[in-house]
Amino acid sequence: MVGRKFTLPKLAIGIALTLLTLMMFIPVINIFARAFSNPDKLHELTGLGVIPKGFSLINFQVVLSNPIVGQAIGNSLFITVVGTCFSLFFTTITAYVLTRKNLVGKTPIMIFLIIIMIFEPGYVQEYFVMKDLHLLDSLWSMVMYRMINVFYLVIMMRFIEDIPESLMEAARIDGAGHMRVFVRIVLPLSRIPLLTIGMFYAIAKWNEFFKSSIFLSSPNKTVLQVLLRQFVVERDTSTLVGISDLLKNSSIAQLDFNSLKAATIVVAMVPILMLYPIILKYYTSGVMEGGVKE
Amino acid sequence: MSRTRSLPAPKPSKLKQISADKILYLMLLPAILFYVIFHIWPIYEMKLAFYDYRIIGDDIFVGFKYFKELFSTPIFTKVIVNTLIISAMKMFLLFPIPILFALALNEFMNGAFRKTVQVVSYLPHFLSWVVIAGVWYEFLSPSTGAINEIIKFFGFQPHDFLTDKSSIRWVLVASEAWRSMGWDSIIYLAAIIGINPALYEAARVDGASRWHIMTRIVLPHLLIPMVTIFILNIGFIMNAGLDQILNFTNDSIASHIDIIDTFVYRMGLLNGQYSLATAANLFKSLIGVILVLSTHFLSKKMTGKGAW
Repeated sequence: MVGRKFTLPKLAIGIALTLLTLMMFIPVINIFARAFSNPDKLHELTGLGVIPKGFSLINFQVVLSNPIVGQAIGNSLFITVVGTCFSLFFTTITAYVLTRKNLVGKTPIMIFLIIIMIFEPGYVQEYFVMKDLHLLDSLWSMVMYRMINVFYLVIMMRFIEDIPESLMEAARIDGAGHMRVFVRIVLPLSRIPLLTIGMFYAIAKWNEFFKSSIFLSSPNKTVLQVLLRQFVVERDTSTLVGISDLLKNSSIAQLDFNSLKAATIVVAMVPILMLYPIILKYYTSGVMEGGVKE
Repeated sequence: MSRTRSLPAPKPSKLKQISADKILYLMLLPAILFYVIFHIWPIYEMKLAFYDYRIIGDDIFVGFKYFKELFSTPIFTKVIVNTLIISAMKMFLLFPIPILFALALNEFMNGAFRKTVQVVSYLPHFLSWVVIAGVWYEFLSPSTGAINEIIKFFGFQPHDFLTDKSSIRWVLVASEAWRSMGWDSIIYLAAIIGINPALYEAARVDGASRWHIMTRIVLPHLLIPMVTIFILNIGFIMNAGLDQILNFTNDSIASHIDIIDTFVYRMGLLNGQYSLATAANLFKSLIGVILVLSTHFLSKKMTGKGAW
């Protein structure tokens, strides 16, 4: 519904939206500018600055050459990649089973899933279960944690329900078993939901911080988000700078703790920024287009 | 022949169906095992709230001892009040924002401006609270932060919002708004897009003003998502945002944003008072379940849409 002509209220709304957008944009870009600034010129950068002062990659060199940060990135990547594959596979296969007609026991299973959805286990008990399974301090604990999200399972079921039944029936008549139908027909036809849900899983795995901090306590198992919290919230400067780098890097004296922190934040945002275009393309394209014709 | 046909059929056919679908149940097994081990088992273990924890030997049943202890400690009352205040602030203050945002965005047709606003405003939803805290610490920094730059520009004294008891809850509300405003507006935007264009045409022919079109056509179409979202949010009032608070906390203001979840975390996983922490957690979970169930049915009755 919208007039193309210029009106005063529209101008006011436009200005309000622009200010709101700047309020979301500037703090994030300011972090980028800080991370890419030359430490010598950093004092010129204000909180409203969006352009790096004297381009430099020194902050990233220091952060990425810090073995603790490298290890944390590796751990996070492992949990994200392996966890997303596991989650996607088991979510889809479960959704396939639950969308079969005549499946005996479907109603009790759906009620079971609703209970799962509304009743959260206690933190202490989740910790003890991981402990009893000998998964504490193993990256597998975070691969297994929330492996099948009930919401995504239900979304996946809706998608599979939309696959023409005749396709699967034909394959079944030709003698294909359920597993074969699943791998040969359902998976290839679910590329878009797999991509969409996979991305949501990946982002959740990459961003997970509270449970990672509980389940993975030894330093070599720490994930990036937990390490970043150590820098940001607990202001742990010594881990961030890294002792070895202090001796190695002659320009370290000029390094600014806040800039190193900013560089770590940027590193933690990179995978999100890489996946973000996929979200925009497949998930929000409906509302991005505007839709309504004049 | 005729006799067999007249036999009651359902039972054998059900068994037959199950045995024919053996492979299906096998495919379902990992999911069931997963939920039983990682979800049902820890829920079952929450019975610890009624037991004294023993490292060696069986736990001792103590009835409601830990619940009594909980409700006689002033800290727990304070924690409940904090949880409700922070949740209520978020619930009421953040509710209209995505609606207004969607209405504002709707004033702009396809084009670079609309797209830019959307691309920028949806992004924070995908950032972790750790990253958001990192961004906001810089944003609110008294020495170099953007907000205090602006405050100084207008001739006021810079202020450290993150260590001030009177402002920290507002920081929680504002950062939550910053994170979710764009993303939460999608549902309303989708509802607006779903409106039949013929309605606008008819209204225009009748000489309706923009204001009339918004109040008589657009808003009524947003009523159902509005009511649904508001009711369902009540169901989550016991969750004041653990991840957010763990990343915005510091010694000066910790007691002001100490919620049930942080209490459980501190008592259980840091202080080792497992039974007390579990009692608090169980209390929170049970209220949560009751609220989610009742809001689900209320919403279903009022709008036809529930939580699932």
